[in-house]
Order: sequence, then structure tokens, then C-alpha cells
Amino acid sequence: MRRGLGVAFLCAIVLAVTACGSSGSSSSSGGSSSSGGSSSGSSASVSGAKVLPASALNNPPKGTITYCTGKDTTGAAHYVVSQFNAAYGSQGYHANLVEFPASADQQRAQFIQRQQAKSGSCDVFSSDVIWTAEFSSQKWLYDLTPYVTANASKFIAAPLQTVHYGGKYWGVPQTSDAAFIYYKTGEAVPSTWQQVYTDAKKTGGIVYQGAPYEGLTCDFLELAFAAGGQVLSADGKKSAINSPQNLAALELMVNGIKNGSAPQSVTTYMEPETDQAFSSGKYGYMRNWTYAYAADGTGSLKGKIHAAPLPTFAGAGKASILGGHNSVISVYSKDPGLALKFADFFASPAQQKAQILKFSLAAVIPSVYKDPDVLKAVPYAPQLLQALTQAKARPVSPVYPQISQAIYTNVNNALAGRESPQAALKAADSQINSALSTF
Amino acid sequence: MATVANQVGTPAPTRQRSKGLSEKRLAVLMVSPSMILIALVAAWPVIYAIWLSLHQYSVRVAGLSRWVGVDNYWTSGLSNPDWRSALYHTLIFTVISVSLEVVIGLGMALAMHRAFRGQGLLRTVVLVPWAVLTVVTAVMWRTMFVSPYGFVNTVLGTHTVWLGQEPYALIIIILADVWKTSPFIALLLLAGLQIIPGDIYEAAKVDGATAWQRFVRITLPLLKPAILVALIFRTLDALRIFDLPYVLTQGTVGTSTLSTISQQTFATNRLYGEGSAQAILAFIIVMIVSFAYIRFIGGNIRGMTAE
Repeated sequence: MRRGLGVAFLCAIVLAVTACGSSGSSSSSGGSSSSGGSSSGSSASVSGAKVLPASALNNPPKGTITYCTGKDTTGAAHYVVSQFNAAYGSQGYHANLVEFPASADQQRAQFIQRQQAKSGSCDVFSSDVIWTAEFSSQKWLYDLTPYVTANASKFIAAPLQTVHYGGKYWGVPQTSDAAFIYYKTGEAVPSTWQQVYTDAKKTGGIVYQGAPYEGLTCDFLELAFAAGGQVLSADGKKSAINSPQNLAALELMVNGIKNGSAPQSVTTYMEPETDQAFSSGKYGYMRNWTYAYAADGTGSLKGKIHAAPLPTFAGAGKASILGGHNSVISVYSKDPGLALKFADFFASPAQQKAQILKFSLAAVIPSVYKDPDVLKAVPYAPQLLQALTQAKARPVSPVYPQISQAIYTNVNNALAGRESPQAALKAADSQINSALSTF
Repeated sequence: MATVANQVGTPAPTRQRSKGLSEKRLAVLMVSPSMILIALVAAWPVIYAIWLSLHQYSVRVAGLSRWVGVDNYWTSGLSNPDWRSALYHTLIFTVISVSLEVVIGLGMALAMHRAFRGQGLLRTVVLVPWAVLTVVTAVMWRTMFVSPYGFVNTVLGTHTVWLGQEPYALIIIILADVWKTSPFIALLLLAGLQIIPGDIYEAAKVDGATAWQRFVRITLPLLKPAILVALIFRTLDALRIFDLPYVLTQGTVGTSTLSTISQQTFATNRLYGEGSAQAILAFIIVMIVSFAYIRFIGGNIRGMTAE
């Protein structure tokens, strides 16, 4: 009896312990990105999704919708919600704010959990640009094609591509993002990536996000796309990563670390470490998102740094990778018309201007960048518009997380010298092909 | 009034009736609520995970799934080189970190057990690492080892990329775990030490036993049940290690573990079947390890408790 009880007790412990483990892993989730991009050009199609007519936002039923977004560290979400309530509260329209954790993985997990439970508790969700394909192919979102096509001319083309999947539009752009090359006053304005790396060697080096995570996928694709490379074939069915163009881009990065143009430690850097390193003043160049302008431009380097759109790859073109967020509307929302009204309000010129002025978030409509107030307060506005205009999207696919993982793991291996660039691209190629054959 | 008394007194008739029940049935009755609770909380998620692991769920088409039997266990587990290296890292991590933790924890417990001025302060200070959230621990260690200008490189005068090189990254994760959980073992062992009666030591002293003999012949044998409990808890915990590698290295650079790889598969890549199969394999490994503990050393636990 004692023996039996002992075994039973141990089983119970093991059960409890491992059950915690498995539910823990199912509750966390990852796209592991702070920013991203996606676009059209995919062969996939999503049929049978509910379509929301453009007219739905006129006089929707009175009520309250919930806007779910990541932790509002800057107050940007609180601002737009309070503005919405101030504008429409008297007509009986209200919005509530629900904040998810700060990590992008956790936001995605929270939203997925709600959608799998068919819960309408998030009417509008602030979706990272790389999640469009996944959410829409699971039929979790309203098809907003009628609204978006009617208003397409209002938006910058590139951010609009991030809500496009399978020939339809699944959201309304909120804010955008693109990377800059930051350099200290007195350095030459870089015109090619090759020049950046050559100059960097003389001025301490270039720092960027080289840790194995989504950020590295962006950093690599910026060079690879500029060099003329692709990730997927035109029909989206096969990997095209193992190309001479991508190899040239990867070799530039790998040689940069070998010959001292970039410190070896970039292989462990995400955005915060990159910022820290650059603001120490020891490095001449940094690749980072627009937020770094506000973050680093106010500290010890105030007035000493410049930002430029990403340069050209010698002998080829230029590219940047789109980040930002879109308003998507849950198919389980009880008042989708009001949800669309909120998304439309977010994209209005007044709100877009406030987002860039107060919170340094890149607007998705071009007129804002010509506004005198914006030009005065955001000196890099013209460069930002240029960066957004030249921006390209990351591959759009429901298996994007696996594709990105194949890219950042192997590129990181090459940067750290564990694999040759050729071997890294070959490995990425076979991993992407097997990801594409996922059921 | 009578009804109220009746209601209040309902247990009484049950107790009377229970005289008619056999002791065994009564035991079953009394245990069943907690068994049902365990079934709901622990068994159901495991059974559901097993069900998931026998299927593939489409990442392309909403709601589409197909039965694949035990294929997932082979393709994404046993035959998958990534999973096998995760298993290898997990085992290395477990063996090294748990051994270090038990040795250091025992030392700490012995130090805390002695009566001296400032004993209370020492106990509090020693427990601080255990009180810190693991994720905070991980962020702290990450900051310390950030290269090239982190704290550790500055002190050592080196430019090593600690978290980007193969043996180092796993070593740092082991160090962080030892730093964090040794106090937990110390606490368990301290409780064990305190129930050893002082007169045994006095008798041994009178018989002329040296300090080392007293430690080996008295402290260790009497502390064995506590050490085993600590070992089992720590081993099961260590086999599931997730947060340290997740924050420090995202499970890369030779630090993938059974948990990071199943999280990556299940949550990031949304391959529910494959990810569940990996989680169940981890579950089976934990099961095997805990049965091994019972089989080979557990007899002693029963022996001790019977005494």
C-alpha cells in the first residue's frame, strides 16, 4: 500500500510538472519580431472569408468596441482611443483599450488564443505586418477589400501591401517603420553598402541586429533584396534563397565581421544591445529602426548623429524592410462596422500626424510628411518617406515563421563562422523547401 | 429550527452510515475529489496533448487536420537531428547543473545551520537569488555577459562573445541556473538538517568521532531523504529548462533544450501535432528518469519514511 501510494504520488508530481510545461509552451508563442513586412505576390488564396462592406462604417449600431494592442509603453494607443471617444462618444460610439504584453510573440499568442476560442473580445487588433498571411488563411479576419480599394489612393503603397494576401486586403495600415543607417556627424553620407562597410572599418565599425531572431532576417534581407536576391520563387512554391545575389550579400556581412568592419559581438545583438553599443560612441555606423533616432538622438549623441535611408548595393538596387502595425478586424467581432470606423479613424490625417509628432511612429499616409509641423519636429521626415517608398516586404506565407527561422539561424551560423556562407545558404534552401511542403 | 439543525448536522448521518462502508470504499470516496481534480488539471492536458501528437494540423487551411499515428514522434523527434541535439544539451545541462546545485546547496545549508551572529541575515541574503524571477535572472546575466563592453568582459579585460559561442553559451546558462537554484536546495536541506536531533552528535563526540566522521556517518545518512527530494525536484525541473535559454540565446548556439524546441515547433511554427509529439517525448523522458529514481534510490526513501 505504501509503495503503491508512493508511485502514485510520484506520477502525480510528474504529471503536474510536465503538464505545466506543455501548457506553458502552448500559451507562449512567437513570430518573434518587433516589426516586419509582408506583401502581395503570393499564389495562395483565401476563399470563403466574411467580407465587410465599405459602407459598414457609416452609422454602425451604437456600442463599444475593444481595441487590443501590445503594451502601450509610449501612450500612443491610449491617445488614439481617447481621441476616438472624444470625437464619437456623444454619438454613442466608444472604444476600450486592452493591453497585451510588450513582446510581439506574446501579443500574437494572446490574439491566436482568442480567435481559437471564437471570442469576440478583441474587435480590433493591432497586428504586426508579418502576421497577415497567417491570420487571414485561418479565416480569423474580416475581408476589408471593399474599404481598402475605395481608399487605396490615400495610403503609401508599401504599407498597404502588408495587408494584402491572396488577392484580398485584410486590414487597414496603422503605422509603418523602416530601417535607417545612422552615422555620426562628420562621417561621409554612405551611398553603397560596400562603402558603409569600408568606412566602418576606419571608424570603429557598424553595429546591427545579428542575433538569431526575426531582426536578423530583416537585416539580411535588406542587403539581399538590394543585391537583387529573392527568398521564394515567383510562384511562391520553391525556395530561391540559394542564389549568387544572396551569396554576395551574405559574404559582405560575413567578411565585414572577419575583417573588423563589424564587431563579432553583433552575432548576439538585438535592438537594445545595438542601441547601447552605438550610443557608447565607439562605433561609426548603426543599422536600426526609426525609433533609434529619438532614443539615441537625445542622449550623449544629441545633435551628433544623422540618419539616412539604407544605401544601394553596389551594382544593384536598394531596399529596406517594412515594419509597423495594421488594424485587423476579428471575424468574431459583434460590431464590425464600429470596428472599421475605429480603424478608419486611426488612419485619418489628424491621427496619423499626432502619431508621428507625439510618438515618433511613421505615418502610413504621404500627406503627413509634407505637413510643416511634422517637417519642423521630425527633421528626418523626408528620409523616412523615401525609406518607406523603397521598402520591400518579407515573404508572405502561412509558414513564414519557419522560413524566417531558416534564414536567421543559418545567417547567424555564417556570421559566427560556424558555417561558410555557401553552406549556410544551402542549408537555408533545404529548410525553406521543407517548410513550404508543410501540410 | 429543527430543519436548520438537520442541515447543519448532515455530515453526522453520513458518518453514521459510513460505519456500514468498508474502510476501502470510504478511502476511495475521500480520495476521489482530489483524484478528479488531478484528472482535470493534470491528466486531461496530457491526454489532449497525446491526441494532438497523433495528428497533423494544417498551417495553410483553417481547421484541416489528418491522422498520422506515431509518425510525428519519429519525424520531428527521434530521427530529427535538431531534436536529438536538444536532448543532448538538456541532459548535459541537467547532470552538470543539478550536481553543482546539490553540492553548493549542501554547503550553504551546513553554513546556515550553524548558530552564529548574523545567522538570520545570512539566511535572508542567501535566498535572494531564489526570490528573483527566472526571466529577470536571465536578463541580468545577459546584461553581464553582453559583449564586447559588458561587465564580465570589462573585469576580465577580454572581448569574448560569451553568448554567441558554443560551449560558453551553455556554460553561462548552467552558471545562471546554479546561481538561482542552489538556495532552493539549501533551503530544503536546511529543513532536513534541523530535524536531526542534536544529541546524536553529542553522543558521537563523546565517542570520539571527528567532524568529518560525524558528517559522513550521521549528517549524510540522515539527510538522505531530504537530498533525494531535492534531487528529484531539481532533476525534473532541469529537464524542462526553458526560460534561461529562451531569454539568453533564444535556444540557439548549442543551447536548445527539449522545452525550447517544442515551444518553437508548437507555438512559433504552429505545428501542433509535431510540437505535441516533442512535448510528449519530453514527458516520457521525465517519467523514465523519475521511475529510475524510485527504482534505484527510491527504496531508501521508503525505508527512511517507514522508520
